[in-house]
Amino acid sequence: MDFILLCELAISGVLVGLMYGLIALGIVLIYKTSGLANLAQGALAMAGGYATVAFATLAGLPMWAAIIAALALMWLGGMLIERVMLRRMIGQPVIMVIMLTLGLEIFLRGVGPGLFGSAVKPLDLGIRQAPIIIGDILINRAYLIGGAISALLIIATIALFNSQIGVRMRAVSDDQTASWSVGIRVERMIAIAWGLAAALATAAGILWGSVQGVDWSLSLLLMKALAISILGGLDSIAGVLLAAVVVGVAESLATGILDPLVGGGTRDIVASVIILMTLLVRPYGLFGREHIERV
Amino acid sequence: MLYRQAGIRHRRYAAERQLWPLTFDRVLVGGVVLFLLAAPFTLDRLYLGSYLLPWLLWSSAALGLNLLMGGAGQIHLGYGAVMAIGAYTSVHLVRSGIPFELALVLAGMTSAALGIVFGAAALRVKGLYLAMSTLAMQYIIDFTISHVPGISGGTQASLQVPRVTLLGMPVTGEVTPYYVALGLCAVITLFMLNVGRTSFGRALAAIREKDYAAEIIGVGTFKYKLLAFWVSSFIGGVVGAVLAVCYLRIVTPDQFHLDLSIQLVAMVIVGGLGSVLGSFFGAALILFAPIFFNNAIGTLATQFGLGISTDLRSHIPLMLYGALIILFLLVEPLGLAKIYDNVRKYFLVWPFRHVRK
Amino acid sequence: MQIDRRTLLAGGSALVLGQLPLPAFAQEKLIKFGAPQDFTKVYTFVTAEYSQGQRDYITLFNERGGINGFKVHLDVIDHGNDLPRAIEAFERYKREGYVLVDPLSTPMARGLVTRALEDKINMVTTLSGRSDAADGTVFPYVMPLSPNYWSQAALIIDFFLKQDKNLKGKKIVLVHIDTPFGREPIPIFQALSQRLGYEFQTFPYAPPGNDQSAIWPQVRRARPDWVIFWGAGVGQTVALSEAIRNGLPLDRLSSSVWLSESDMAVVGKDATKGVLKFEAAAGGREPKVIQDILKEVVAKGKGAGPEGKVGTSYYNIGVMMGAIQIEGLRKAFEKAPNGPYTGPWLNEGLRSIANFTAEGLLPPITTTKEDHQGGGRGRIVRWDGAKFVPQSDWGAAYQDVVWGEIRKYSEEFKKSGK
Repeated sequence: MDFILLCELAISGVLVGLMYGLIALGIVLIYKTSGLANLAQGALAMAGGYATVAFATLAGLPMWAAIIAALALMWLGGMLIERVMLRRMIGQPVIMVIMLTLGLEIFLRGVGPGLFGSAVKPLDLGIRQAPIIIGDILINRAYLIGGAISALLIIATIALFNSQIGVRMRAVSDDQTASWSVGIRVERMIAIAWGLAAALATAAGILWGSVQGVDWSLSLLLMKALAISILGGLDSIAGVLLAAVVVGVAESLATGILDPLVGGGTRDIVASVIILMTLLVRPYGLFGREHIERV
Repeated sequence: MLYRQAGIRHRRYAAERQLWPLTFDRVLVGGVVLFLLAAPFTLDRLYLGSYLLPWLLWSSAALGLNLLMGGAGQIHLGYGAVMAIGAYTSVHLVRSGIPFELALVLAGMTSAALGIVFGAAALRVKGLYLAMSTLAMQYIIDFTISHVPGISGGTQASLQVPRVTLLGMPVTGEVTPYYVALGLCAVITLFMLNVGRTSFGRALAAIREKDYAAEIIGVGTFKYKLLAFWVSSFIGGVVGAVLAVCYLRIVTPDQFHLDLSIQLVAMVIVGGLGSVLGSFFGAALILFAPIFFNNAIGTLATQFGLGISTDLRSHIPLMLYGALIILFLLVEPLGLAKIYDNVRKYFLVWPFRHVRK
Repeated sequence: MQIDRRTLLAGGSALVLGQLPLPAFAQEKLIKFGAPQDFTKVYTFVTAEYSQGQRDYITLFNERGGINGFKVHLDVIDHGNDLPRAIEAFERYKREGYVLVDPLSTPMARGLVTRALEDKINMVTTLSGRSDAADGTVFPYVMPLSPNYWSQAALIIDFFLKQDKNLKGKKIVLVHIDTPFGREPIPIFQALSQRLGYEFQTFPYAPPGNDQSAIWPQVRRARPDWVIFWGAGVGQTVALSEAIRNGLPLDRLSSSVWLSESDMAVVGKDATKGVLKFEAAAGGREPKVIQDILKEVVAKGKGAGPEGKVGTSYYNIGVMMGAIQIEGLRKAFEKAPNGPYTGPWLNEGLRSIANFTAEGLLPPITTTKEDHQGGGRGRIVRWDGAKFVPQSDWGAAYQDVVWGEIRKYSEEFKKSGK
């Protein structure tokens, strides 16, 4: 195993990890404000990808307009989901919410391919395919741009949490009743979190769609996103940034080092192992607050 | 009238504690049992082999999962993997010449032994975190099964189930497998109906409500949580083994993927957490809704020449299925069992609606 | 949910309405074929186009009057790659007297093998299912009727050999999806590497292959002479884009049969120039059958899908399978015109197809009681930016090695069935 290959794998791992992180960010946002786990986040990314393709091809919009339209549509969609479904789940056991979001995922997986056709849809952002070669290290242009955009969006979200609206959202996550009593509109904060999460999922869907094309398999990104959000801590937005890098690099290196040894694609297992190890060693994640009920 | 409580006086505790104190319920249960027993002689083979048989098996699995989720309040997103362990163990044992009766028990034992590992996570975390760790374990077991040729059966990755005999009867054709499944289902159902009245069941209920409160009143959470996982995994393993022998007849890794686990959780939830009857309702709904929608949309499309694309036609059932799950959770979070119960209560006091409440 | 009189009545009437019998089919003399296929899960990339081709061919056949007064009814339904649903469909077909089932999914085909053998219903496993089912003596009712993955692998290697004259010391790399389907061709590549002296290396990626970012840098580092990518659907497009992004030479890159025009369109029609693949049926609209379908089916508005899809690779594979199935039916009528029209009756026909080419769409296919593969012929084609251009004549390669493997695994199956 030569050193340069390891470098290449590590770099692509960081970039891919950041792109996963964008989906994890949505899960964390929603968990942080409302304490609910959204297992439909992968499906939201898929829906976002389909929406963009639909605006670009069916409505004939230029790509930038299609992206904006899709982001806006999905923002509304996210708020709608919260209003119609998740708000009624307050006070129900965790498993109900998990099942509801899984049901939502099944539903979305029917809507996208059903309306727009099940064949893979191309989504061209105009990123050139030719690789960038620095010294002897090859960097994948699509991932470089995707990773950079993801990192920017994650950092922007962290910044948002330090703005006025972010402070309110943090208050909501700390104590809903107390926030209420000081005049913060809790429902609105949660709705914003959902809208933001859906929009971020759409961004992820667009980036991943440009890499792999848009089809139902975009919803499979959920597992990686879960690994990241759990490793980083379900209520830590800064955690996403670091955990995304860790998960991405771990997966990438595992493919390079472990695959030849076990003779199989270990990539998916890495996410599972990370989830298990985190939960057994440090259940609240790297940066999460130590509030979860231990047994 | 049959269907009412008025005039029923229990003179002994045993009479009051019986499973079905109302005559109507007893008659209904008796009727269902008779119907199920007579099904091979009255029903078409299609309904027997591809509706009743899988329904009984999936209901049994849902019951096993319900013990854990409804009974002890632990979330399990890896029940499919537990069943896979049972199925693979039994098939390998039978292939190596061990009688099926023994293989069945050993399959349950193996599943239970590995199921405890899932349980170990439950000692550490709960709620969402437990869901995630069982999910992760499902993936790891899937990976192991499909990557160890000794387990999955080599390049073709499919293991044919040899002909087996149970208590001297060859389990072939349509009828014997049905009775085997029916027998298994009956045993599990009776166990589940009665488990709530045992100290074990009450301990689980205490843990479900609040685990440290349970510890305070002297119910060892460590012991009972592991025990709950043990029993539930044992059931899962046995059902997996019977599923392989009676229904699948060939086992391949992708039959026990995450999809199966999610399907089972959906059955438990849509049926009603902790309800025995609900597991049967849930299994029927989740198992047959896609088939029903599919056939219905197919017939509609061919009969009325519905001008919709193949893609849309084949995805509408998927949308309906997803929407169905969402709707049930929103409209009646307590599940189909609760809806049945409401209907039953409506009739119990009919026509004196005002006495309900 | 509160129950009152209104909800009770509404629920009750909904139940009753749900039970209403739907009008039955008009009674015609029909031979029934069932096509429970995966439209919604893993095989979405191929099923819609395949099914369209299959249905269009059968419509063409029926429009021309069928055979001996019989028409063919093809029932298409989604099984979502879920075995209970496939079994339900299979059992329903069995009850309703269907004589052929075409599940187009490897896991479903594997799960239904025992049932097909026991119930004597012909199961067509087009370019999928068990490769060893080519052995008709062990699998009398499983009909691949198309080159299996082992034949495809052998033909691809044969093409490499013809290009390079000698493969000794060359390095051939297989990038494959890490499922039984992806691992299937490995024995053939290994066996041939011993015979021809090339070095063979594999790179598995996790299914379904939407993320292969860590695989291709390694492939590039391995500096292979030839790369074969073996997957389906999204895995194929991602493999192609990653190969391009890692700067691998595309004219030394080959796929199995599962690569289509729409995959090329996703990655970029011009960007993918030079890529090779295996082809089992001629692509494009030139073959006479496709022209006939355009004239007699599509032009009359009886096409089963969008006209733009007519002539794509997967569409033509659908036509190919429809044609072979109908040819088997013809042979069955030749042998026993008066039936009884059952599975074994059709089986006789499907196993005695001789030199059938569907008017130039296919390489000659000949099935016997021993050989259900039909000869394993195909050819290698190259993408030129708009269509796949043949690079070799129809032919088969190393069938001795392929049949060695087929016999090895079918023996194993026979033993395990006891």
